Amino acid sequence: MWDLADWHPYTRQALNWAVIAGSVLLCLLILPTRLPGMELLNTGPNWLLIWVVAWSVKRTVFQGAIAGLALGLIQDGMTAPDPSHALSLVVVGVMTARLQKQRYIKEDFISIALIVFGMAVVAETIMALQFSWQSLSDNSASRELGSIWLYHQQVALCSAILSSLWAPVLYYPLNRWWEQLQDIEQPQL
Amino acid sequence: MYALRRWWDRNGIRLGLIALALGSAWVVRETQGAAVYEIYRFLTRPFVGSPVEPAEPAPDPRVRELEQRLVELESQNRQLQELLGYVQDRPSQGVVAPVIGRSADHWWQQVILGRGSHDGIQVGAIVSGDGGIVGRVTHVTSNTSRVLLISDPTSQVGVTISRSRNMGYIRGQAANRVIMEFFDKVPDVRPGDVVATSSYSRLFPPGLPVGTVESVNLNKSPAPEAVIALSAPISHLEWVIVTPNPKADAALLPSQSANAALPLDEATTDSATGDAP
Repeated sequence: MWDLADWHPYTRQALNWAVIAGSVLLCLLILPTRLPGMELLNTGPNWLLIWVVAWSVKRTVFQGAIAGLALGLIQDGMTAPDPSHALSLVVVGVMTARLQKQRYIKEDFISIALIVFGMAVVAETIMALQFSWQSLSDNSASRELGSIWLYHQQVALCSAILSSLWAPVLYYPLNRWWEQLQDIEQPQL
Repeated sequence: MYALRRWWDRNGIRLGLIALALGSAWVVRETQGAAVYEIYRFLTRPFVGSPVEPAEPAPDPRVRELEQRLVELESQNRQLQELLGYVQDRPSQGVVAPVIGRSADHWWQQVILGRGSHDGIQVGAIVSGDGGIVGRVTHVTSNTSRVLLISDPTSQVGVTISRSRNMGYIRGQAANRVIMEFFDKVPDVRPGDVVATSSYSRLFPPGLPVGTVESVNLNKSPAPEAVIALSAPISHLEWVIVTPNPKADAALLPSQSANAALPLDEATTDSATGDAP
């Protein structure tokens, strides 16, 4: 096994960016699948949301927002851009970064699962609010207010349960990697 | 100047990376995730089997009789149409495509197909499964295509009750049921009636099977409603058939047609002008 500490800082940085891009790509590729065990009422885990939470937990509000914006734009491209998924993921990134997890919540899987649960509900609610706004401002909009919120209950609950259960799968390796990087870079500062 | 230089030295790379990340996200958005879907299709290719014919149950004599009568009636119908000089282009052969994925979020009812423009699929093409229409193609990459299912709330289709010719339109409910709203105040409809696309639909050619009426609510305001059970198994599609759409011009503009598909106010007052162009 190579020792990361011996590497040139730039190589390490490049590897870090490769890991980031790779994990995002992995999330994007899992999104359209509905594997057995990852599906409740045709709803799968919201992998991009899990990624944004894992990213923002130990980062600044600005970094969380940027990650949410980028992933939201990608998800817009993969489904439909109107209303935007970017808004909900930006809010999730900002809120997660604001949580100050290190200070208030103990570091473990349970707390990550809890955060993801809450954020999934928040994200779906923001989507539902956007759809409601559309249906209120535009009379010919195809979704009705009642059906939006009925569907929201189902989606928010399924998404929250599945995302929080699957969150550690993504969070654990990413967190391990970033912690290792930090340990190596800390003494040099 | 020096301070600016130092700031740039410290934050230049970070700024560049943020710009790179947002830039590539924007590119993915503008290309409708084509690259992601191409990779996805490449990775899922080993898992896509060959289309399996469902195990045929022993043909019931009654079913066989009905099938034969259907063939007879269809050929009669064709002859009569020829006698009348009724012009209708023959339904062209479709492309069989595997369903390799579903919507990448929770609010849109979409499926991803493992065939694209290389196989001649175009935006607006009609997708049908076992038993009826499933949706229409909204985006195409070279090897994948994205289908908006008829169970999506935004996809509204003009339909008619086959028996009584009462018109209406369906709107999705994100499940295997859709709601049909009638243009008439007192439609002639009862549970079990067959529903097909109507000639007023702008996106689909007329006469494609959609489903059967499950229950009727005539007291619903502003228009009577019926619950339609879709005949295609929307929630577990594996293989679908994609056929070119004679009405593709209207379907080419999905955003416009989604907004302008149905002038609803007219629809409730005037029984015939529903979603006529």
